[in-house]
Order: sequence, then structure tokens, then C-alpha cells
Amino acid sequence: MDFISHDEKTIAEMLKIINVSEVDDLFQDIPKELIIESLNLSDGMSEPDVLDKMREYGSKNNIYSHSFLGAGCYYHYIPSLVDFVISRSEFYTSYTPYQAEASQGYLQAIYEYQSVISRLTEMEIANASMYDGSTSLAEAAIMASIITGKNQVILLEGVHPEYIDVVKTYCWGQNIELKITSEDKLNDVLNEDIAAVMFQSPNFFGDITDVLVMSNKVKDKYPNCLLIQCMTDPTCLGLLKPPGKTNVDIFVAEGQSFGIDPSFGGPGLGIFTAKKKYLRKIPGRLVGKTKEINGNREGFLLTLQAREQHIRREKASSNICTNQALCSLSALIYLVSLGKTGLREIATQNFQKAHYVKKALASIPGYKILNKKPTYNEFIVMCPNINGLIRECKNMNLLPPLQVSTYYPEMSDVVLVCVTELNSRKSIDKFIKAAKLAINNEEERVD
Amino acid sequence: MDANERLIFNKGNELVQQNFIPKLDIKSEKIEEILPKNLIRDELRIPDVSEVEIVRHYLKLSKINYGVDSGIYPLGSCTMKYNPKVNEIVARMTSFSKLHPLQDGNEGALEILYEISQMLCEITGMDGFTLQPAAGAHGELVGLLIIKKYFETKGIVKNKIIIPDSAHGTNPASAKMAGFSIIELQSNEHGEVPLDHLEYAMKQGDVAGIMLTNPNTLGVFDRQIKDITRIVHEHGGLCYYDGANLNPMLGICRPKDMGFDIVHLNLHKTFSTPHGGGGPGSGPVGVTNELIPFLPIPCIVSTKKGLICNYDNHESIGRIKAFWGNFSIILRAFVYILSLGADGLKRVGQIAVLNANYLKTLLKKKYNLPYDRICQHEFVLSDKYLPNDITTEDVAKRILDYGFYAPTIYFPLVVNGALMVEPTETESKDSLDKFVEVMNQICDEALNAPEKLKNAPSNTPIGRLDAVNAARKPILHD
Repeated sequence: MDFISHDEKTIAEMLKIINVSEVDDLFQDIPKELIIESLNLSDGMSEPDVLDKMREYGSKNNIYSHSFLGAGCYYHYIPSLVDFVISRSEFYTSYTPYQAEASQGYLQAIYEYQSVISRLTEMEIANASMYDGSTSLAEAAIMASIITGKNQVILLEGVHPEYIDVVKTYCWGQNIELKITSEDKLNDVLNEDIAAVMFQSPNFFGDITDVLVMSNKVKDKYPNCLLIQCMTDPTCLGLLKPPGKTNVDIFVAEGQSFGIDPSFGGPGLGIFTAKKKYLRKIPGRLVGKTKEINGNREGFLLTLQAREQHIRREKASSNICTNQALCSLSALIYLVSLGKTGLREIATQNFQKAHYVKKALASIPGYKILNKKPTYNEFIVMCPNINGLIRECKNMNLLPPLQVSTYYPEMSDVVLVCVTELNSRKSIDKFIKAAKLAINNEEERVD
Repeated sequence: MDANERLIFNKGNELVQQNFIPKLDIKSEKIEEILPKNLIRDELRIPDVSEVEIVRHYLKLSKINYGVDSGIYPLGSCTMKYNPKVNEIVARMTSFSKLHPLQDGNEGALEILYEISQMLCEITGMDGFTLQPAAGAHGELVGLLIIKKYFETKGIVKNKIIIPDSAHGTNPASAKMAGFSIIELQSNEHGEVPLDHLEYAMKQGDVAGIMLTNPNTLGVFDRQIKDITRIVHEHGGLCYYDGANLNPMLGICRPKDMGFDIVHLNLHKTFSTPHGGGGPGSGPVGVTNELIPFLPIPCIVSTKKGLICNYDNHESIGRIKAFWGNFSIILRAFVYILSLGADGLKRVGQIAVLNANYLKTLLKKKYNLPYDRICQHEFVLSDKYLPNDITTEDVAKRILDYGFYAPTIYFPLVVNGALMVEPTETESKDSLDKFVEVMNQICDEALNAPEKLKNAPSNTPIGRLDAVNAARKPILHD
């Protein structure tokens, strides 16, 4: 299968028009010693053979009936119409809509995406998307440094550990000094030279911060210091006060929860929003609404491109070109499918169900909830027998919660539990049962 | 068809019952009792719209949008080839789509990642790959950070990168993001890198290397590529290959053999994964043995016990994206490589170049072709000599009237009024001939009916839009 339609006769005709005798002549600029005979790969395969082979790979992955794992990638219900819309090949086989008149459909959809994100976050501007939550946070740090002309940023503990690592890498690239500290010690490290304070809420461990209190704390003393909030499961915005109401300057999130399958962690969606005054420094594409030059009809186009790399080259605010357009389309369809009523319901159910599980675990001897603040759909709990819990979950076809030691080795007996609307009562009961069974297994108890 | 479809926000708004979420089946508590009131939001301005209205709305929008499945998409440097449907089927298999990045029981996924890395090594000649980067520009950033780390580790200060003026705009922007300053090198009259200027620039001593795409954005293979990479290496620099234009080289020649140390690929160009209207893409980065320690984490390593994930590597540039890269895009590319195999990939390279030269030979009869020689995957025309002050933009907009997408315009910057055409291998001769017919007709119109170009497009859902006002008074949401 090579998806090429020429037969030998056609090729001969074309060669004749080009005025060369064989295809190899077209590679005459390439030094002879660089030309290879053939690639050492297997022969091509027919479609059914490929599908068989892929099913074989697939069978080596375990897909569980229900999940208690989140930690930056979430299982939420995806309405069927999401995949229906993004499967329209007018959308998914198109390029970046540079030719606006032939791309009005997608441009309008991106404009609607920017609108729905603005409405959800109450932030003044949203771009057309970034790669994911982690790179959005890193780009936000750079943006803050450009806006303030300062090269130190503070990151508060509780940001997703993989995001912290990404921010570290980007900051190193730009010679931005990154200081990581706890919320309690924030006052000790804040000073005039800080470009921004970055934090996550609900954070990696599930804690919800009172963002208004935090922003007042920072802004009262240092009004020019930017506040950057990130989030890994923005379904919580159906319930929680949005960043636009708590004086956040730049808000970024991983949008995978909005109608995008986990797919082993990618592609997701980088949601990037900011206050309007930072418009000219925001990275990534923006779609704007305008009118025809010689007419009165409204239309949509890519705008403010003078910020971007293809115009400004090394003076651009970011190097981003390809983004996650199709994922932003998924998010749009997801959010309008649910509407305000559905979003409230989703957020409420996530909150209620997680709260229910939290209480149930807390009532089992040996389990201890470690969160001191309110939580949304994730929380951390200390387990009397973590290996037992993981094993019992698997036995019951449940994807076990994250062992926090994956990132923080010192938290060896702690799991991060995630409960969403997809966790049925039955699966929750099984999970509680697994937790109880685990403590009955003395020989596995962790010392 | 008229655009004029109301925004989704102007629909619905009645309370619509939808059944996406099962009823809450546990005992709930009063929210206010378990969550402080000041953390709870009040209003949410997202309408409730019925499913059928949503489907009709977006179906209508899809009809006023052009994709590869609509017809030829001759965007230069974008490699808009056909996206095989089998790729989409595989990406949606639940054994992949429902796999969590932090779960175990992921052997199938790890095997795929490992095997496609090996395949990309074979295709490019490189020794190791990371699949983490989410896009081409992201791959460039990773490549440049590897260069930065390499010199940092050696304790050598080199903070400049050479980039030819024909380079993609992402090159200088990525170099800057990795903390480098840029030396721009002017191409010579053949569209190639002038060796004497290169040598002069390298002699300044603080140059970390060069970023190059070959064939370059003029569609020209730089005949002195071995000399270029030799000169850079002789002065202690590294050579970075921008793989945006790799398509015509598939199975023909390999970046490492040309002397490159680092290469990024665009799976959404060369390896048939859909562009999705601007993404998601995937931009794997390949390196030589010497640079493998600097690759981002995590890396998948083959051991006697099977595949393991390596998170600890003190020389690594660190992590550049959460989890495992854009897995479902990588998966599509894997399916593509399996489908084509060694011979199929070579045929891609051959036919991509055949199609481009065929189109170029026919179009240069009527349009100015500043660099007139055998091209590889693409070629660049210009609006020079078009009558009645007709510009490249006029031509592009008129192409839309004929129901095709336009080539890349005003890029590369080294050609004034550039029209950059890349047909790819998946266009049939018939499709190419039709495009030529339209281009010829437009050329005739430029002479005999220039107003048709000046007023173009007139057959599209909307006319030319006011970009100036859009930027002056941005309206970015409703």
C-alpha cells in the first residue's frame, strides 16, 4: 500500500514532459556516494495485515473496566458527536487556515473555541491552543519574563512534577532563573526582581487554593509580579471560581479532559489564556473576527501574526507553529455538547463522588487522607498496604490509583486517587472493597 | 455556499435535557458544606444546545472548509499528502486510545515507540531518537537544547547559530528560545549555502553550528552538502537538519550520510498523519551516538529483561513535554511505515520529486521560475512579469475561486512574491493537469481580465477579509 496512483505508463509520460529519461535523473544534484540502495525495513503490508499486527500490539496493553488513576490524564465521558465532528475530513485533513476564504469553517470553529474557553475561564483572551499543559506553563513563564523584563520566576510546590521538569528545561534554555518553594515560604522569596509566581490549583495532590487570597498576597506588595495558574483537569471550572475572577494574569491548563482520549498521554491540548493587556506577547495563533474589504459580511482569519515566528523569526514571542487545532475542536464540541448544565453536572459529580470515596477510605482503619485543603476529583491517601491495594484493584479489573512514589520516592505509602463521573457506584464499591481486602493481607504490609 | 453561519452561542439557550452523564448514584452532600462558598463560581455563559443543532452547525462549517480530501493542497514546505484512513482506525482502537500514560500493562505501546524509533533511525541514518516533541518547532527546540547542553557539558562557550536566509521561520525562533543568537547566511545565486561565507562565519569561534534544510525551501538539493557539514565540523560545530523537507529523500539518501548530527522529522508531513487544521503534529528528533546521552527523558531502552523506561540521565536536557509525546500521532505514522515498507517509502521519495518536476515544467511556461533547475519536492514561482500589477496574493485568491487551495505565498523570503508549490506523491497526473489548467487560465485572465484576480475570490463563502482592521482592533471572542 503506497497511496500512489501512477502506473508505469503515466510515469513515462511525465518523464518525457520533464525531458529526462528516468526517475533517477531527477536526483542528479545528490552526490552519488550519498544515494542509498534501499532501506533495511520490511516489505509493505496490506490493510488487513496491518490491522492484525496492530491488534497484536494492542493486546499487550491492559485496558481496565474502571479507573482510579488521573495525575494529569483523565477518563471522562466523551459524547459520541465529538468524534463524529472531528472525523469530518474537511476538518482533519486541512492545514493551518492561512487562506481564510477557503477555511472559514475551521476559522469559525477556532473562534468559537477561543470564545468558549474565555467564557469558561472568564479570562479576557484565549489563544488557538498550545501543545499541552506542561509546555503551556513553560511558555507562560517565558511570556512573563518578556512582559516584565525580569528573569526570575517562582514556582510553587504542588505543580504536576512532569510540568515542573518541563518548566525547568525551558527556563534553562532561556536563562531564566527558576525558584521552587512552598506556598508557606512564598513571602520569603518574593521580591522586586520576580517576574511571576506560578502555581497549580487544584494542585497535583488535589488541594484547591483560595486563589484570590494568594493573588492579593502577591499583588499587594508586588503589583507588577504576574500570577500564573495552571490546572490539569479543567472540568472543575464547572463548579469552581474561574481564574478570570481571581486576578490571575495568565491561566493555562491541560485540556485533555475536554473530549480527548488519554491515548497514552498525547495528543492533549494546551489551553492558554491571559489578561487582554498582554495580548501582543501571547504565544501561538489567534483567530479574529473581521469584515470583508469590499463587503459587509463578517468572517474569520488568523490575526496578529506579527507576533509569530513565520513573520518575526527570531524576534517572535515563541517558536510555536503547529499547535493542537484538532484537539481544540474536540474541546469545543465537548464543551458545547455539555453546555452550562452538563458542565455543572460533571463538575458536581466528580466532586461528590471523589468526596464520597474520600470519606469511605477515611473510615477504614489504617487509611489516612493527607489533604488539608478542599479537593476536587483527586486526593492523596496514606495506605497501610499499598502493594496490596494495587494488587486487589487489578484483580477487580480496576486501574489502580497513582503511587505517588513514582515522582516523590519519600512518599512510599501514598496513593493519588482520582474519581470521575465515569466511576459507577459499582466500581466505587469494588474499590472500597479492594482497600479493605488490602489491610487483611498481613504478609504484604509495608514496614 | 455562503459562510454566514451564526455562532454556536447564538443557538439553543433553552434548557436542553442531554443524557451524556449518568445520574449521580451515590449519596451526595450539600456542596456548600464541603466546599467554601468563596471557591464556587456563579454564572457560566455556555449555552445549552441540542445534539442535532450542534451536529448541523458543525456539518455546515465543515462544508465551508477545504482539506486534502477535497482536492490538491499544493502548500510548499507543508507536504499535504493524503492521510490514509487505516491510520485513523488504528488510532481509535480502545487498546491504544484508552491507555493511560502512567499505567503499567503498556508493553504494546512501548514496543511501538521503540520499534518506530528504530525505523526512523534506519530512514535517517541516525543512531537514536526521541519521540517526545509535539511538533516540528518543538523538535527544533529540543535539537538546539541538545546542542546547548553538548557544549555546556564540554565547558565550551558557543552561543551563535548559523541559519540561511531561506530557512523556515521556526528555525531562528527556536534558536532564540534555546538562548542562541543568529547569524543569517545569504544563499548564493543557485539557492545554496556559499562555502566561503560559511567558513568565514564559522571562524568567529563562538558558533555552535548550523541549521539547514536540504532540499531547501527553494526545493533545491544543496550539491555541496558534504562540504558544508565538513566545514562546520572542522570548526567544532554541529549540524542540524530541519526535516520539514525530508519527503523527497525517503529511501533515496539520508541526513546522517550528508553529515548531520541532529535531525527532526515532521510526522504530520512526511509520514502522512493528518495536519488537523494546524495540529496536533509530532516532531521526533534523531541524533548521532555522541549525542544520545543528551536526549530528553524518558527514553525507552532495550535490555535483556525487555523494554525499560529510563528517567534518570544526568546529561539529558531534561523533560520537554509531559508523558510520552503525541502517542496517537506516532501510532498513525507507525501504521504508515508498516503499510509502505522499504519499497513503498522509496517510491514516495521518487514520485514526490517526479510530481514536483512535472508541475514545474508545465507551470514555468507561463510563470516566472527564479531558480530554474531540477527540483526535489517543491519549487518556487514568483509574480515577476505578471501583467497589470497582478500580485502573488491575487493569483492565490483566484486559485481559491477555482475550487483549489493555494500554494504557500510570500515564502521563502529570498524570492519576492514567492508562490511555493509542493504537490506531494499522492496527487495523480490528472489532478496535477487540472491544477496546471487552472493556473494557465489565471495567467490568461491576468492579461485579459485582471479585475477577476483583483476582486478574487468571488466564488468562496466569503470575500477577501480586512486583515488590517482585524489586527488594529482585535475581536478574539464572543
